[in-house]
Amino acid sequence: MEQLETFIVESPDAVGAKTTRILIQDVLADLSLNRVIGRLKVYVDPVQPVFIFVALLRLTTPAIRLKDFAKVDMGALGKDEIKIELQREAFTIKLLSKLWEKYGKEKIEQPDKKIIIIKVDPLLELDGMKELVIEEPRQEVLDRLIDAIALRIIPEGFRVRKHVLTPSYVSFVASEDTLKPEWIQRGKEMLASLQEAENV
Amino acid sequence: MFEPMMYTGGVYKHGQIAELVEDLGGYILQKNIMQTEVVLLILVPIEDMAIVEAKAAELLGKLTRAPLTGTEIATVAPTLAYHHLPHLDCDVAEFLRKKGAKTNMVGLARGVGKRICQLSAYERDLINEHDLAVFILGNYEHCIIEKSKKLYEGIEIPIVVTGAPELKTEDVPNATAYVGSFGRILHQMRHAEELRTLDKLAEVIGNVFDNLRKEIAKDPPSVAPQRIKKEIEDQVQEIIDSLHPLPITLQLNGVRVKLPYEEYHEMIENIKFVEGVTMKEVAQVLPSKMRNFILIKAKPKSETGFVI
Repeated sequence: MEQLETFIVESPDAVGAKTTRILIQDVLADLSLNRVIGRLKVYVDPVQPVFIFVALLRLTTPAIRLKDFAKVDMGALGKDEIKIELQREAFTIKLLSKLWEKYGKEKIEQPDKKIIIIKVDPLLELDGMKELVIEEPRQEVLDRLIDAIALRIIPEGFRVRKHVLTPSYVSFVASEDTLKPEWIQRGKEMLASLQEAENV
Repeated sequence: MFEPMMYTGGVYKHGQIAELVEDLGGYILQKNIMQTEVVLLILVPIEDMAIVEAKAAELLGKLTRAPLTGTEIATVAPTLAYHHLPHLDCDVAEFLRKKGAKTNMVGLARGVGKRICQLSAYERDLINEHDLAVFILGNYEHCIIEKSKKLYEGIEIPIVVTGAPELKTEDVPNATAYVGSFGRILHQMRHAEELRTLDKLAEVIGNVFDNLRKEIAKDPPSVAPQRIKKEIEDQVQEIIDSLHPLPITLQLNGVRVKLPYEEYHEMIENIKFVEGVTMKEVAQVLPSKMRNFILIKAKPKSETGFVI
C-alpha cells in the first residue's frame, strides 16, 4: 500500500485509535482511494461522542470530453449529419451509450469501427457535441470518497454530520448528539494544520 | 450423556462409522460430503467413546470434540450496513458453523449508537429462541460498555460480546462472556492471529455451552432433542422435501422444525414414541418467530416426572 504523507488517528482510546487506523486503511484500499488522499487526520472521542475526519485531496485528471479523443466534423455534403472519427477506441462504449441516450438509436450509425455518424443538424449540434463529457474521473472519485467516509468509516451511530467537500480537501464532523461549535472549530484547526504541513 | 464430536475423513467406508455410532445408541446430526472428504457431526455415548475412537483411527479419520454441535447461535450485528457486513459478521458466523453450530445472522433495525440503540420486541423474541447470542460490537471501550447497559434488555439466553479492547467480562454489563481483539474489521479474518482470535471465541462459547449443559443435566429434558429430531424424520414425511438448510435444527433443549406451524403442529404434537407417550406430553410445540416455523421445547423432568 502506498503510504499517505500524513496519517494520524488521535483518540483518548488507544486501542480504538489503532483499530480505526486499520479500518481506514482497509476502506481506502478497498475503494482504491490511496492515491486520492494526500494527508489525513482523524480525531475520535467516543465519550463526547465526536468523530472528525479531515483530508487533503490529490484529485487526478479533469473530465474527458469528446474532442479529446476524436475528430468531430460535418458529415457528407448536403446531408444533415455529424461524423465522429475516433482516434482512441477506449471510450467508444461509453460514447455510444451517451449518444443513444441523447439522440436515440435510430439516428446513430457506425459504418466502421472508428467512425460514428449521427443524423442531426450539424449547425445546431456540432459545438455542443465537441464538448460532450464522456467520463468524469473526478466526480467518480469523489463519489467513492463520500461512500468511504460517510458510509464506511464514520461509526454508524454518528448520524448528525457536517461536511465540507471541495476539490482540494474534505472535512467531516459527526456525532450522535447535536454538534458543538468547538468540534467544528477543532475540525477547522486540524485542516489548517494539514494545509500548513502541505505548504512547508 | 452424549459427547458432541466431529469426524473428518475420507468418503470411503465412512458409512461404517455412521453405523457404529447408531448401533451404540448415538446420533448422526449432520453429514457433509465435500468431494472426497466427509464431515460428520455426531453425538457419541460417553462410555462408548473408545470404540468410536478406535474405528476412526482404523479408517484414518480424525475425531475431534465439537462442543458447539447441536446448538443454534444468533450472531447479532447492530445493523446490516457496510460497517459490519460482510466481513466480520460473516467470518464469525461461518467459523462457528465450521465448529458445528447452526448460526443465524440477525441484523437489528435500530441497533446503532451508544445512546440511541434499541431492540424491538420482535428482535428480542427472535434472539431468545436461540441457545446463545453473539453480539458483534465495535472499536471503543466506552461505547461497548455504554451500549451493553441497555441493548440486551429482555434477552434471557447467554450473551457473548465481541469488541476491539481487551476487557474483562465483569466490566461489560449484562454479558456472559466478552472476547477482545475483534472490533470493526473490514477485511476477511485470515491471518494467523485473527484465526486464533476466532478460535478463542469458539472456545469461550464452548465453555458457556458446557456450563449450560451441566445446568440442564440437573433437570434433564423429558426427551432428548436428538430423539425428537429422529422421530420427526421417521414420522413426518414432508420434512424430507424441505429445502431449508438443516430442516430440523437442534438446540440444547429443543428443536426448530422448518415446516409451517398452522399445517403441521397437530401432526407433530401427536407423534407417538415407542414408550407410549405422545410429543405433546413431553414437549411444547410452539410457533416460532422465525418465518412460520415450529419451535419445539422439551419439558423438563421436574414437570413430567419421567425421562424417555
